[in-house]
Amino acid sequence: MKLIDGTLLGMELRRSYKGVLIWSVAIALSLLLVIAIYPLVIDMYQAIPPEFYDLMNAFGGIPDTIVEYYATEGAMMLQLFGALFAALQGFGAINRDEREKTAESLYSLPLSRMTFFATKLLRVTIEVVFLCVFTALFSYFGFLIVDEPIDYEPFLVFSALNTVVFLVFAWLCFAMAALMKPNQKPMAAIAIPFVLYVVYTIAMMTENETLDLLKYVTPFTFADPVEILKADFRLEWISLTVFLGLTLAGTIAGWKAFARREFTI
Amino acid sequence: MDVITSVNLKKYYGSARGLEDATLSVREGEIYGFVGPNGSGKTTFIRILAGLIHASAGTVSVFGMTPGPDSAAINKDIGYMPGESFYYPELKVGSVLSFFARERGCGTERMDELAQALDLDLDKRIDALSFGNRKKVGIVAAMLHQPRLLVLDEPTTGLDPLVQRIFLDLMRAEQRRGTTVFLSSHNLTEVEKVCDRVALVKEGKILLVTTIMDLVKQKHKRLIVAPALDLSLSGLSKNGGNEHETYYEYRGETVPLLTLLAASGLSDVVIRDATLEEIFIGHYERGNGQ
Repeated sequence: MKLIDGTLLGMELRRSYKGVLIWSVAIALSLLLVIAIYPLVIDMYQAIPPEFYDLMNAFGGIPDTIVEYYATEGAMMLQLFGALFAALQGFGAINRDEREKTAESLYSLPLSRMTFFATKLLRVTIEVVFLCVFTALFSYFGFLIVDEPIDYEPFLVFSALNTVVFLVFAWLCFAMAALMKPNQKPMAAIAIPFVLYVVYTIAMMTENETLDLLKYVTPFTFADPVEILKADFRLEWISLTVFLGLTLAGTIAGWKAFARREFTI
Repeated sequence: MDVITSVNLKKYYGSARGLEDATLSVREGEIYGFVGPNGSGKTTFIRILAGLIHASAGTVSVFGMTPGPDSAAINKDIGYMPGESFYYPELKVGSVLSFFARERGCGTERMDELAQALDLDLDKRIDALSFGNRKKVGIVAAMLHQPRLLVLDEPTTGLDPLVQRIFLDLMRAEQRRGTTVFLSSHNLTEVEKVCDRVALVKEGKILLVTTIMDLVKQKHKRLIVAPALDLSLSGLSKNGGNEHETYYEYRGETVPLLTLLAASGLSDVVIRDATLEEIFIGHYERGNGQ
């Protein structure tokens, strides 16, 4: 039994490439724009009256370098929209065939359920990695445009961990689609990264010890751009391990449901 | 050799009945019709054969194997056409069928041949096709790889009469090649034209399995007599009417019937053969295979 079917993978990628390109280009151009206007933003900060400037600076609101600026303005936007994209792609890999009623023809092909499952999961992984590489390249071009001295190592670490976050969302939503009844609206998938992003924002903003624990219920924690790009980086192993474990468990549960899934549309 | 065998097959969707009790066998090389009204369980049975859903009880085998979610070994020898033919809407017909051909490990020569026979435009997008043309895509997709078994769910619904005729010719050609065909249908004329045997299904239960030859033997005369008269003859039975006319069924020799009618003082009479549909309806109304 083959795990990956090249023909199916090609068809799956062909069907979704326009959507992937639109998301990738939109996010990448936004990032490029955010980075390219950095010199203007610096001028704007310098025009702020000193008493306000000092106040903002005391709360960390004034970035010292372009990387710090990127962490607060660009990377956080990338995380929210990228996570939404990943969730939609993951959920849609199984759900779309059912919504468009093409499942009956597709699943009567002589391929095992494992081949369908693994091939669709690989497709989602390829698309998420593509978006991450594409947006990272545009960010890199942005840094070249503003011509500021930059340490690329934290940027690469952030990009790698951010890719893992997106894959967590994509795989969990893929499993979710397998576990849910057919014909669910993709909105169900969007809710997950959106809510977890809000939780992450609250956890990051607060000094309260109890609320701070919220950071362990969201995968954004182990790829926190401010931590990675702005300060001395220390990997949140607990968060990373918990979410990789959860993703693995979700994928196994999703597979078990998919292996018995009935296609009646 | 039996290609399909099912014994007491049952399928429930939660508490909703899909199939109550289906026992049948389909022999290699025959064209088998599965006939019944909407909601009788035809599509449920066919989806079980294609491994898309699993039975709640009973047994089923195709080529001696049990169909299910992992029935790739069975599916490679089956050409399946769903009742509603949905394919990737944004792609062209040729691209979709080429994908199916690659997955089936066959070339596209057969695709071109079938598309030409059915007058199917391979350059059109799926979402630009009419219902009937999407049905044609389904027929081509099912027959691309020249499978040993064709499982077709209401294949001619939505096809114009000319294409229906071409389709029936294709079925006969497939049978000559040795293919077994299992098709569900509402169209009794097509069933009569191509099927060797037929199963009648109602409310999830198989009422009757018979050969078309046996069904044809059950053909009889239908009479409409005006004004309404009470006639009596061996083989003649009343089956309805109103104040102006009476309906009869007649099984027997023609001369005694004509003699009776000539002496009965009627003003008008219509005599015709009962259709296969009327025979089927008779079975459905009786609700059993007697």
